[in-house]
Amino acid sequence: MIEVEHLSKVYGTTAAIKDITFKVNTGEILGFLGPNGAGKTTTMRILAGYLPATKGRATVANYEVHENSMAVRQRIGYLPETPPLYPEMSVVGFLDFVAQIKGIPAGDRPQKVESAIKRCNLVEKRHTLIRKLSKGFRQRVGIAQAIVHDPPVIILDEPTVGLDPRQIIEVRHLIKSLAGSHTIILSTHILPEVSTTCNRIAIINQGEVVATNTPESLLSQMNAGGGYELEVEGTLETTQWALQSVEGVTLVQSLDDDPSVTAAGRHRFQVSVDEQKGRDIAAAIVGAGLGLYAMRPTGASLEDVFLKLTTKESPVSDNDQPLQDSMDRLEIEDRHTHESIEGEHGKIH
Amino acid sequence: MGIIMGNILAIYRKELQSYISSPFAYLIAGIFWFLAGFFFSIILQQLIENAAAFDLQRQQLGGQGAPSVDVPYLVVQNFLGSLSSIALVILPMLSMGLYTEERKRGTLELLSTSPITNWAVALGKLLGVLTFFVTLLMPLLIYEAIALGASNPPFSIGIVLLGHGAVILLAASILSLGMFISSLTDSTILSAILTFALVIVLWVIDGAAKSMGGPMGDILSHLSLLKHYTNLIQGVVDSSSLLVFASYIFTGLFLTAQSIDALRYQRS
Repeated sequence: MIEVEHLSKVYGTTAAIKDITFKVNTGEILGFLGPNGAGKTTTMRILAGYLPATKGRATVANYEVHENSMAVRQRIGYLPETPPLYPEMSVVGFLDFVAQIKGIPAGDRPQKVESAIKRCNLVEKRHTLIRKLSKGFRQRVGIAQAIVHDPPVIILDEPTVGLDPRQIIEVRHLIKSLAGSHTIILSTHILPEVSTTCNRIAIINQGEVVATNTPESLLSQMNAGGGYELEVEGTLETTQWALQSVEGVTLVQSLDDDPSVTAAGRHRFQVSVDEQKGRDIAAAIVGAGLGLYAMRPTGASLEDVFLKLTTKESPVSDNDQPLQDSMDRLEIEDRHTHESIEGEHGKIH
Repeated sequence: MGIIMGNILAIYRKELQSYISSPFAYLIAGIFWFLAGFFFSIILQQLIENAAAFDLQRQQLGGQGAPSVDVPYLVVQNFLGSLSSIALVILPMLSMGLYTEERKRGTLELLSTSPITNWAVALGKLLGVLTFFVTLLMPLLIYEAIALGASNPPFSIGIVLLGHGAVILLAASILSLGMFISSLTDSTILSAILTFALVIVLWVIDGAAKSMGGPMGDILSHLSLLKHYTNLIQGVVDSSSLLVFASYIFTGLFLTAQSIDALRYQRS
């Protein structure tokens, strides 16, 4: 439904996106994931026909977005980063206006507006002026204007930004309910968003798509952060030395951010391994004469995958709390491994 | 074609609705009506006093000397003249927000990604703001009807209507150019100031052109809004005057559509 081939956009001398290629199949939700400033909004704007691309092709429903702009505009619903709203209009008046400029015949309009209002849970606010709505409701009106004409393709740029957790869940449910009959591409810098709503993920960093896959395949492909958490009576060096003999161990890192948690002489470590090597690890630790007090398998998270793909030379600049936490952990990894993190393979030596 | 008309109508209605719900529009209307009413009563009073004095003078001279003054005609002339001066200040304020607001709120992104052409948006907006201005003129017609209804012999309604047609044409030209300027910037104040400056230049270009002389002066004097406006309110319907106003309106629309299109290329 959406095909993007070798798309580039250059502003002056800086390239916002470089040679991007990806595809969204009919009825699918594609999450476009990346840190702020990675080129998400630029890509969305090109797809919506708002910005012309410098190079490459983007087609929506087999129409080239720039050459056949009008045909594309008829087939898309677009929620920009800031929802485009007229504060002096009422919700129902605004949606009727949008339906009108999207070319919905007068006869079908009331019914389409009604269904958008119901879908976005705006029933009790229908006659309220948009100016008087809270941020969450405004965002919903923004989504309602993107779906009011029932377009085959929906482009959502950061649909949950600025919402409280309950509203975020509601919006995610809404987006999920739109899949199937609509093809959706949504951009976000929030990880749980894609893992809970999207069929596929495209991770973009510094203007380049670094991975495209389903959340599950990305996890298994990367095997990032998988392994065991250990509590050992011994220092990091001795533990590392003890685990040298175990095949597949790629990383031993300290987790002692809170010393009061562990008793004297004991330290907590994260061990990354490719396969199920719990038995070997336990044997190696005990065999080296170190006390093993706890051992717990830890699963890989999408967060780790994301960070591995998007963190190279320059760190991710993001204030998001979960990301920040992982950043700290990532820095710890870096210190102990003396190696920069590889992009595609995600293996750390 | 039907779709385009529908689009223009949608924008037109949206614009009108924004005036109805905007306190700023009521403020403008209040100021306009106050100034127009004030000027009207001053002009009426002065002219009647002058005419009375003139008639007295004539009687003393025994019916000799200058012919009698056509008071109704002078009232309409002077009033329309002062109306254009008020409009000069009011119109930039009406046009300043046409596109700057859309740019600031990000709604331009909605319009630019909807199946509607820039032309339709610009035309709908121009018609909307012009309708608002025409609404401002309506009550003034009542003053004039009352005052001129008292004139004897009855005054030709044609001149009054033609004069107001000229005001509307003038307003449409200025609003169209002002709309273009508002499409260039995010700042409403800047848009108003630039429009005001442009209108002043077009207003007085006649005088500058006369002093310049030569073919260049001829061309420039033809651009003068004041010259063509004065022609029309004096009851002289010249097709070249109509053409000049039409050109201004078209140029404004054309430049607006182009500037909105160009905006997509420079946005960073």
